[in-house]
Amino acid sequence: MIGFIKHQVKTFGLIELFKGLAVTGKYFFKKKITVRYPEEKTPLSPRFRGHHALRRYANGEERCIACKLCEAVCPANAITIEAEEREDGSRRTTRYDIDMFKCIYCGFCEEACPVDAVVETRVFEYEFHQRGENIMTKDKLLAFGDKHEAQIAADRAADAKYR
Amino acid sequence: MVKVEINGQVVEAREGDMLIDVADSASISIPRFCYHKKLSIAANCRMCLVDVEGAWKAVPACATPVTDGMKVNTRSPKAIAAQKAVMEFLLINHPLDCPICDQGGECELQDVAMDYGDDVSQYSEAKRIVGDRNVGSLIQTDMTRCIHCTRCVRFGQEIAGLKELGATGRSEWMEIGTYIEKSIDSELSGNMIDLCPVGALTNKPFRYKARSWELKAHPTVAPHDSIGSNIFVHTRNGEVMRVVPRENEAINETWIADRDRFSCEALHSADRLTQPKVKAEGHWSSMDWSLALQVTVEKLKPYLANPEQIAILLSPNSTLEEVYLVKKLANALGINNIEHRLRQQDFSADQYGINQTLAMRLADVEALDSVLVIGGHLRKDLPLLNNRLRKAQLNGCEVNVVNPSGLDYNLGIEHQVDTLSLVSELASILKAANELVDQDNQVELAAVTFNATHTAIANSLIKGKKSALMLGLIAQADVHYSKILQLASQLAQTTGSSFSDLPAFSNTVGANLILASNSADLTNWLANGKKVFINVGIEPEFDCLLADQALRAMQQAELVINLTAFDSVSQQNYADIMLPIAIFAENAGTLVNIQQDWQSFKLFASAKGEAKPAWKVLRVLGNMFDLEGFDYTNTAEVLAEIKALNLSIKQPDYQCNLDLSVITPTPSSLVPCYSVDGMVRRSPALQATPDAQLTNPLN
Amino acid sequence: MSSVDTLNIIQGDVKKRIDRWLARYPVDQKQSAVIPSLRIVQEVNGGHLTKEIMDQVAQYLEMTPISVYEVATFYSNFEHQPVGRHKICLCTNISCMLRGSDELLDYLKTKLDVDVGQVTEDGKFSIKKVECLGACVNAPMMQIDKTFYENLTEQRLDEILDSLE
Repeated sequence: MIGFIKHQVKTFGLIELFKGLAVTGKYFFKKKITVRYPEEKTPLSPRFRGHHALRRYANGEERCIACKLCEAVCPANAITIEAEEREDGSRRTTRYDIDMFKCIYCGFCEEACPVDAVVETRVFEYEFHQRGENIMTKDKLLAFGDKHEAQIAADRAADAKYR
Repeated sequence: MVKVEINGQVVEAREGDMLIDVADSASISIPRFCYHKKLSIAANCRMCLVDVEGAWKAVPACATPVTDGMKVNTRSPKAIAAQKAVMEFLLINHPLDCPICDQGGECELQDVAMDYGDDVSQYSEAKRIVGDRNVGSLIQTDMTRCIHCTRCVRFGQEIAGLKELGATGRSEWMEIGTYIEKSIDSELSGNMIDLCPVGALTNKPFRYKARSWELKAHPTVAPHDSIGSNIFVHTRNGEVMRVVPRENEAINETWIADRDRFSCEALHSADRLTQPKVKAEGHWSSMDWSLALQVTVEKLKPYLANPEQIAILLSPNSTLEEVYLVKKLANALGINNIEHRLRQQDFSADQYGINQTLAMRLADVEALDSVLVIGGHLRKDLPLLNNRLRKAQLNGCEVNVVNPSGLDYNLGIEHQVDTLSLVSELASILKAANELVDQDNQVELAAVTFNATHTAIANSLIKGKKSALMLGLIAQADVHYSKILQLASQLAQTTGSSFSDLPAFSNTVGANLILASNSADLTNWLANGKKVFINVGIEPEFDCLLADQALRAMQQAELVINLTAFDSVSQQNYADIMLPIAIFAENAGTLVNIQQDWQSFKLFASAKGEAKPAWKVLRVLGNMFDLEGFDYTNTAEVLAEIKALNLSIKQPDYQCNLDLSVITPTPSSLVPCYSVDGMVRRSPALQATPDAQLTNPLN
Repeated sequence: MSSVDTLNIIQGDVKKRIDRWLARYPVDQKQSAVIPSLRIVQEVNGGHLTKEIMDQVAQYLEMTPISVYEVATFYSNFEHQPVGRHKICLCTNISCMLRGSDELLDYLKTKLDVDVGQVTEDGKFSIKKVECLGACVNAPMMQIDKTFYENLTEQRLDEILDSLE
């Protein structure tokens, strides 16, 4: 009998509701821990592994020497390279494709690179609208690197002492 | 036999064997750079230092003969310290450019440094730089990487017989090179690439194309000469990238000729025919296979009423299966005119049989005491046979030659007769031999005179315990080939020598086996013309000895059907149908080599465009003519059928006409070694060598 | 210096001198005479070797040209660039160095106004630094042509150089 009355009070006294509202109320006045993406963004580590880029030296020469170590180390087989001797006798790629669908962003390519040519940048906001756009060609990757070089260089410098 | 203890393991060895060989046979690894089992011992890299009990210092395993009870340790602190120290020394001047080095991934220095080297070096000063010289179109040099093992120098001196590289300067300034601007011209030069333990000498056409870990190795057989060198073809994504030797002591040892190594470039030649083409009213149009074959059958049918007007010319590099199917198809259609001996003009000895093989195993050539080469430039035509002969010569074998003048030998020639008339000289030698053994001369030899050289050659053959006569391509091309055969076989008999009429091309032996019973008179066909020519895998205007006649015959023929891998302007001119066929690694089949080894190989590269293996084309043609027994699904079935025939070669008993009264000297018919077939003619790297520049019909 | 036919250097007296050396070795080991032969042709050619001359030696001794180049570049007494009429070989190894060979070298350079390996304008002298010639007991020392000069000082140097033709 007593149990029945307690249950009725609980149900019709809306006690649970107020308990819940109390939690809501508590967090309503607390400091917010979420960010209002995309207007607001969380800070990123210099080691962040986002969109790939191919870098150049300061004199404009592409860094990549077609050693194919990134291709070899890539666990997802996302990288395809073809190489040939350039006119000046140096070893260069004629094709450098990264399939962004295959890529698992492990960063091994960056680690394997002996000349810091392929890097993963902070950029993670990108999307593809057409089939085939997921293949990042050499030209695209170089252009991407050119665009973000300042940030890339700063990130490598910031992380240099730990490498 | 002595007992040696290496790392606690007791190994049996012959006394005097080098420690490194004994360790190798027991699968105990000792690092090395300068040691190579086919080269002399230099002991200059010091990488193979091991600890021998009782020896004060570590000793080089490559130059230390084993003795009974010797106790060796390859991993003792002393040995390890020595190995690490040597590795550190070697790396002082070796550049850290592995990422751009073609040897990266298959580099002995990399491997040994990983296994035996230390992590850090005490050396922090500047490394030396060595300037490069252009040594030709086959080998790329990066001499800064050189560690002075001198394998390449010793190879040139000992194997190629032509010392082109040397070590100039001394100490820090020592350089391996040609010293002067000069190309490396040996026909075996590519082997230096394999010998080089680092990336100092690399494959020039292959430069930067692929890394070793991307490549798949497929065992196969080299398709240019009758040695049948065993090779690995390296492919990347089904595309042939390069060729390296596959060790086979009985055939090619560890070497291959440059021709075998660098001809693979031709697979990607712009000349490749990629689609069947048919000429109608002077215009070529590409069409699909079924249509093209239909046209072929239709065009051919009217001529089948009189098959005598049809001739089939076949490449001596065709596989056994292809030759067999050509014959089967031809015979079923009533065609009997098939020929593969395109560099021959006198066929009158055919009636006594054909035996173009080496009368011994290749390895036995090294044991010969006396050899007479008649009309053969073995060095260029059969480089690896020449290599065996050179070894024999270094062991004291007397090598005599009767050849046109101006040939460049890389071995010591005992007696040399320079002539354009092989028959007359041979007759003189035979007469000299007859006199020496007190044998009566035939009537035909009555008028023959001889001089001291002839006697010396005959004498050399007679006194040699193992002596041999060898006929080469030049003899086979002679107008009086049958007389040469007759005289040479008699000379062999008189002097107690073996007699080999050397086959030149990769399947000459196999084609002879299958086509032996076919009556053939190529000279006549070309001179008088045929209404229809079917060419399989050849370009008659380059591959026939009588090239001009061949071209004229093709131009005058009513119908020319070419099964060819390569397109060319002159073919477009005379041919009516061109069917693209697969070559080399794109094909499967069997080749029979000079010592009658039947070597089968598989297909492992995708053919260019719509090219198809010739055996498949022939099979489908058989079906389209509604012939029985053309339902093969693979080459193994064809091969089984050939094997069931139990074909064998019998030594002919020559009874050729020996009338020596009218002997006309044959103009030199030397085939430049880089013009022998369509593939080598289309390898840019080979064509840029001095050997090719002699005469290349394509240039 | 009389003019030498560099394209056919092994003839007459030179040939005789080389043949004298060849006579000391087995007929099939002509290459044994390569060092004396090179020395003779170098002397005749005015103190240095050229590719053409080395090739002739190679041909005469039945060696491959590269084998001759190997020997000629290994030994430091073979020159591959023109030298002066008198080649001054100044030792700069440890004993001579301790006794002031470096200063002497500087003095020589300023006096003759040439650097090591160069020839003076009049073609009379060239300087070469050499390793120990085994006369440490009277360091510093130098060798000019075939003569050793020991206990060198700047003054001695002047005297010696002036005394040479």
